[in-house]
Amino acid sequence: MLEFSGEERQAICDTFDRLLSDNANEEALRKLIETESGFDNSLWQKMAELGLTGLMVDPDYDGIGANIQEAEALMEVAGKYLYNGPFISSCVVAPALLQASSNLSMVGPHLKNIASGNSIFAIAGCGQTGDWTQPPTVNAIQNADGWELSGPAHFITHALTASHCLVIANEGGERAAFLVDMNDCLVPAKYQSTDDRTLRLSNITFHGSQALRLESVGEKQIDDALHLALIALAGEQVGGMRAMFKITIQYLNTRFQFGEPIGRFQALKHMAADLLVDVESASTVARIAAQTMASGSGDSELLTYLAAFTCADNFRKVTADAIQLHGGIAYTMEHPAHLYWRRAQTGQWLYASSDKLRDLYLLEMEAKL
Amino acid sequence: MSGDLKAKVEGWLDVHWDSINNRQVGTAIYDAKTWLAKVVDAGYATPTWPVKWYGLGLSWKEARVIEDAFQARSAKGWGRDRYHLGAITIFKLGSDALKTELLYELLTGPICCLLYSEPGAGSDLAGVRTRAVKDGDGFVVTGQKVWTSNAVEAEYGMLLTRTDMDAAKHQGITFFIFPMKQPGVEVRPINQITGESEFNEVFITEARVSERFIIGEYNQGWKSFQTAIASERLIMGQGITARLGGTAAEKVPALLQLAHKHGVLQDPVLRQDVAQALAYRQLNALNMLRAKGEIMKNGASSLSSLGKLAMSRIQHGEARISAKILGPQVLFNETEDALNANFDGAKAYMNSIGGGTDQIQRNIIAERVLGLPKSMDISRNIPFKDIKSG
Repeated sequence: MLEFSGEERQAICDTFDRLLSDNANEEALRKLIETESGFDNSLWQKMAELGLTGLMVDPDYDGIGANIQEAEALMEVAGKYLYNGPFISSCVVAPALLQASSNLSMVGPHLKNIASGNSIFAIAGCGQTGDWTQPPTVNAIQNADGWELSGPAHFITHALTASHCLVIANEGGERAAFLVDMNDCLVPAKYQSTDDRTLRLSNITFHGSQALRLESVGEKQIDDALHLALIALAGEQVGGMRAMFKITIQYLNTRFQFGEPIGRFQALKHMAADLLVDVESASTVARIAAQTMASGSGDSELLTYLAAFTCADNFRKVTADAIQLHGGIAYTMEHPAHLYWRRAQTGQWLYASSDKLRDLYLLEMEAKL
Repeated sequence: MSGDLKAKVEGWLDVHWDSINNRQVGTAIYDAKTWLAKVVDAGYATPTWPVKWYGLGLSWKEARVIEDAFQARSAKGWGRDRYHLGAITIFKLGSDALKTELLYELLTGPICCLLYSEPGAGSDLAGVRTRAVKDGDGFVVTGQKVWTSNAVEAEYGMLLTRTDMDAAKHQGITFFIFPMKQPGVEVRPINQITGESEFNEVFITEARVSERFIIGEYNQGWKSFQTAIASERLIMGQGITARLGGTAAEKVPALLQLAHKHGVLQDPVLRQDVAQALAYRQLNALNMLRAKGEIMKNGASSLSSLGKLAMSRIQHGEARISAKILGPQVLFNETEDALNANFDGAKAYMNSIGGGTDQIQRNIIAERVLGLPKSMDISRNIPFKDIKSG
């Protein structure tokens, strides 16, 4: 993997920020969420031209070969705009699982297609509980032609946008990863009616879908991929809460009541000061967790869980209080606060609930007893 | 250059400091006054100050070399240009005559106590009512101070007084360096809700202080005080960063040990409580590490102002959860665990009230970090004698 300096990382983020500012601002987002797919493919292709879709793809397969630190930083930018493309599944989790496979001739072309923007990957990792850490609900059975998958998978992001899906399935009592071409899915995915309109979620029930097994990808590699997803999501949540917090502080300085800016009232000041603690704690831990994972040091899992539930809960807390601090204006659909607040709720359940992640953090701590 | 300095300081310490017995070479017991005088005379107590004022005119970086050499041998007396609030304040604000008269005595004596807060002037410190009335070439002081540490040992106190009742609140204050060992100064320990007595009340009844002992200008004490308090905040910040070495990864947090010992880690509700409490502690440690990095890089970090609020949440929360872990047995101070839980619950207020309440800290963060407008002070621009109190 390549080492990036802080300046280089910042430069990539600035580029991404300009791209999203031009193509995925609030106006664009509001138009996009009214469309069927909720996905802007032309923006995705621009990201591919900049090399962003290949961020974590090895340079041997036309990628940049960056690590989770760069992904976390980019996701902070994504979160600022509530950018809703399939970055985590296609550009973070899929490359990690594919690159963990020993069958390089099989995965190589897919990695190249991810980097070029030709393929988009969804990930099916859990059942109805939404918890990736529980046993999978899809079963894999070997037949004469290879493998076939059966069973339901839930909480799949971007299922209708994706060309391929990586499915975490039960194979003889252990987790394994399988590659499915979405055209081979006998039952097509349907979008569910999400309260958070910025992110599409689907479920798929497989009925003997033909699949390829990612050789050598087992429990550990799947856990590692989940941890990458958790840190990328934490980064997105940090970006989202920072953006919402900034909008809120600006409002407190410019909204006048009783002849003065409402930010002069201590009831609001004190809420804002408390939120700053939450925003900074989330920023700190998301970055340190990414850095620790990139360096491969021992406390990586503990910090990943800490970052995951802290960023998820703090994003919800900051956006919820932001609405209250604004007052009536943020109770309207026209104001962006509810978009952030709704996305924050999605984050409290995606991959695993924040309560579950808090429990996993405690388990890591208990291991030190 | 700094290599030469290091060798010189180490050589000096080898000659004068017995690091096995922690005392001056050739003496039977450690005598603070003689040893401190030796360090001050060598210029090592305040190396960043000019030679004229017992220093060596060195940079902070060079001073660090001296501090490191002293610390490596557990030798005392270093860093008085960083930690001796009284001496620093006199050095910065005192006239040459006052420096000549007091600086050496302060540097070779114990630290000064702080006579700031009063029963009626806590969060609103500029509301001090201790009067200093001009009388000949000095002042007669009467009033009451509170929350004073080290008041018994201190030979001097830094004293905020009201010297003009007709001026506005911030305009009629005079700042003194005040001799503690005199008739009319009575120190009474405060019995805290923890059972400890770390602080004192200081009752001052017609005690005297010389006009020469004014720090800064007569009636302009609030300005001088701002300089003193800035030094104090800097010290507190240094304390935080000094305590935090290397990593924020704790061994086994005490709260987890307690929960484990009492077999409650199967309870899903308590598990969430314990996990969140451990998380708050680790998050704050990580934030302070980040602050340390930012201070080293940029000289300052707004994060350090958040530590106090974070620590209040940690301490009050951990005490609350400790009590839950113990269950109703917490009602009896009959076990070490119950004693600790009850003590910690009371002690947590030390952080959330001491050094300015958390509510004042939230105002400071909102105004100075977030840039929200300053709160109004309706008592700011009226004569002090007309301000309502109670």
